[in-house]
Amino acid sequence: MVAASGLLLLAIALVAGIAAGSVAIAPTDTLGILARRVLGLELAPTWTVAAETIVMDLRLPRVLTAMVVGGGLAVAGAAFQGLLRNPLADPYVLGTASGAALGAAIAVLIPVRALILQFGLLHALAFIGALGAVFVVYRLSRVGSSAPMTSLLLTGYAVSSLLAAGLAMAMYLSGTGLRQIFAYLLGGFEAATWGRLAVAAPLILVAGLVILLRARSLNGMLLGEEAAAHLGIDVRRERALLLTMASLATAAAVAISGLIGFVGLVAPHVVRLLVGPNARLVLPLAALLGASLMVGADLLARLLGEIPVGVVTAVVGAPFFLALLRRAHSGYEL
Amino acid sequence: MNPFASFRMPRTASGRKRGRNRGRSLGLLSPLALLLVLAACTGAAATPAPTITPTPTAVATAAPTATPAPAFPVTITDDEGTTVAVAAEPQRIVSLTPAATETLFAIGAGDRVAAKVEDISPFPPEADGLPVVATYQGVDIEQIVSLKADLVIAGGLGFTPPAAVAQLRSLGIPVIVLYAESVDEALAGIDAVGLASGRAEAASALTTAMRTEFDRLAALVQSSPRPLTFYEIDATSEIYTVPAGSLYDELLRLAGADPITTDASYQISLEKLITANPAVILLGDGGYTTPADVAARPNWSGIKAVVDGNIFPVNDTLITRPGPRLVDGLRALIAALHPEVQL
Repeated sequence: MVAASGLLLLAIALVAGIAAGSVAIAPTDTLGILARRVLGLELAPTWTVAAETIVMDLRLPRVLTAMVVGGGLAVAGAAFQGLLRNPLADPYVLGTASGAALGAAIAVLIPVRALILQFGLLHALAFIGALGAVFVVYRLSRVGSSAPMTSLLLTGYAVSSLLAAGLAMAMYLSGTGLRQIFAYLLGGFEAATWGRLAVAAPLILVAGLVILLRARSLNGMLLGEEAAAHLGIDVRRERALLLTMASLATAAAVAISGLIGFVGLVAPHVVRLLVGPNARLVLPLAALLGASLMVGADLLARLLGEIPVGVVTAVVGAPFFLALLRRAHSGYEL
Repeated sequence: MNPFASFRMPRTASGRKRGRNRGRSLGLLSPLALLLVLAACTGAAATPAPTITPTPTAVATAAPTATPAPAFPVTITDDEGTTVAVAAEPQRIVSLTPAATETLFAIGAGDRVAAKVEDISPFPPEADGLPVVATYQGVDIEQIVSLKADLVIAGGLGFTPPAAVAQLRSLGIPVIVLYAESVDEALAGIDAVGLASGRAEAASALTTAMRTEFDRLAALVQSSPRPLTFYEIDATSEIYTVPAGSLYDELLRLAGADPITTDASYQISLEKLITANPAVILLGDGGYTTPADVAARPNWSGIKAVVDGNIFPVNDTLITRPGPRLVDGLRALIAALHPEVQL
């Protein structure tokens, strides 16, 4: 039931996201273009070449990027929340966001404009910064052979603060590039292209799939590491794998779309409030919800005149989340 | 049909001016302050009647009589070093900088401009009715595609978001990115617009006339005393003035001033300003700051320019916009700095 409504929500978001934009294109034309180009139907075009470019090369990659990024962040958020057993955890909790932001800011400071496969220095350094930050956090938090969860969280906080200082300095030095850094910090999908999606989507989808297949481990770890070990889960290996995959999905997402908050935090919680804490249900439903939320937020952002999508996710998401929390009288735990 | 059909081959570009990229930067922490200064730079405020009324350059309107068959396709290397090919004479040009809008109209390509960037100090009036496809917040790519643009002129140094430039290029629309940090570069930019739009001769006539006028005006104040001058871009919170080696700096020197300059941050501390003790203060932010406001600022009363009452508003738009009216900007500066000189 819930899964069906999730899919329906996603389908509605997809259609609405492609149908709306700053240029009005008749819904019949939009459907015709999609039928001809995606389904391969032999239709006589009743639309202009420009309309086809807008639907196929601007809106479709944009909506699909929002979908993949939203779904990826939601799964990563659910994984981090489960692994760290902390309801405040989000995809950015281990320094991904500040690492990516610092990488992007440094890229803006370096005046190289080369694009390889539509990827510039900004995307590359944001991706490397995000993964690099998590790697440093993981290594620093290791005590002996294992990394206790509290230590991981606190190290993540400390490293994030340090990177944030670097970001502030980079922004101070950036001059006219400040606007570009600021745009990255707010996030958005207006620069989405097929090329970028083609590189980022497989990373996010594979990482997300691996996490989905590890739902059993996540369920075990919710009981505590000792209990998980008793259930026969190789806690150290599973945790390292899940952390790596969640970080990979997050890094790929922030590299192409900037830092978009809230979806990765809220989508898993909303799903848990609806269906309970079983990761087997939470992970796929969170992906569906995250994807729909992100497409909806991006659509709203576009209709309101290209305002930053991160603002929309927070403004729409926060009250919705609060309302759900208030309704869950029973008390809510991970 | 394969949805990846639009996947384009990689393109590369090297920065011709990369060494100078930070020259015109604004080192700010607060986005609001940046917005303010950018607004000031692009002439956000309607500057109250400057001391002189600039007369349009005569050649600017003189369209060449016989237009020879334009030499398309043309290949242009823009200010970021990107090589841009324009296949045929563009019929639907989108101007993403106010300077390019002015230039296109001045060289007789105005009737082929399909859309423009938001211009808070709009010029020329003929461009008023054009659809606006870009604002400070961003560029409306969908609108540009829907207008079937065949040439886009964008601003460098982040004025047009680089992501928008890349996206337009990936859709096969030629985009020329221009910026100017000197009079020479401003004139080269006008020539580049001329070449790209098929009005190379008109553009070259315009830039030749502008250069002659620059030389004539500069010669007028060659032997005049050079007052130590503070050009105020904005002083609402921090104090912003002209960076050394910028277009502002060069124009002020041509106008017979000895400008107080700063580094790429555009910022100057009040301590440094008071120590420098300028003899003249020019208000580029004259649209919202009067000489009386300046005199009333705490700790400014001892500055020589304030004591002597040498505070003058100037039209910031003319001075900062690397377009055809740049000579009028120089004229306005000379009129403010050397009122005795007969222009």
